[in-house]
Amino acid sequence: MNTKRVALLVLLGSMVVVPVAQAQIKHIEMRVEGMT
Amino acid sequence: MKKHLGRQAGVQTVEVSLIDGKVDVTPKEDGQIDPAQLLKATYDSGVSVAELDMTARGKIVKDSSGSLAIQVAPNRSFVLAPNELSKELEPFVDSPTQVTVRGQLYKKPAGKKKGDTSAPLKLSILEVQKKE
Repeated sequence: MNTKRVALLVLLGSMVVVPVAQAQIKHIEMRVEGMT
Repeated sequence: MKKHLGRQAGVQTVEVSLIDGKVDVTPKEDGQIDPAQLLKATYDSGVSVAELDMTARGKIVKDSSGSLAIQVAPNRSFVLAPNELSKELEPFVDSPTQVTVRGQLYKKPAGKKKGDTSAPLKLSILEVQKKE
């Protein structure tokens, strides 16, 4: 029973961690001119 | 402009600072954001972009022409402009190491009223934040 719970926790944890760890554009900053 | 940019694919939030002319864009995690499209959308809204900086995480690869590039999605990579920091990343070509870098993707040419946004964008690395 406990093993099943641990396995489930590991599975859920990995689902949270994977999207954070994947390659991606994290932030974009622009300096603009002529904005009113 | 905020609304215009907020409608672009992959954009989660847009923060505009009128005082210092800064626009902060937070991408969604869907990987759909396209900086070139963002640049074009900004020009289309009647505002001139002086600089565009990007922070990205990805693998270092060599593209078909042998140039160093950072791959941020299976179908999206940015060629790195050669400099001291890009040389530092050469050993990581095709390795599983993911690097997080901050760099300049666009700068309006000096003395020109309007920059050429159709030219291919090269990422000039300003800072290597993480190698993992």
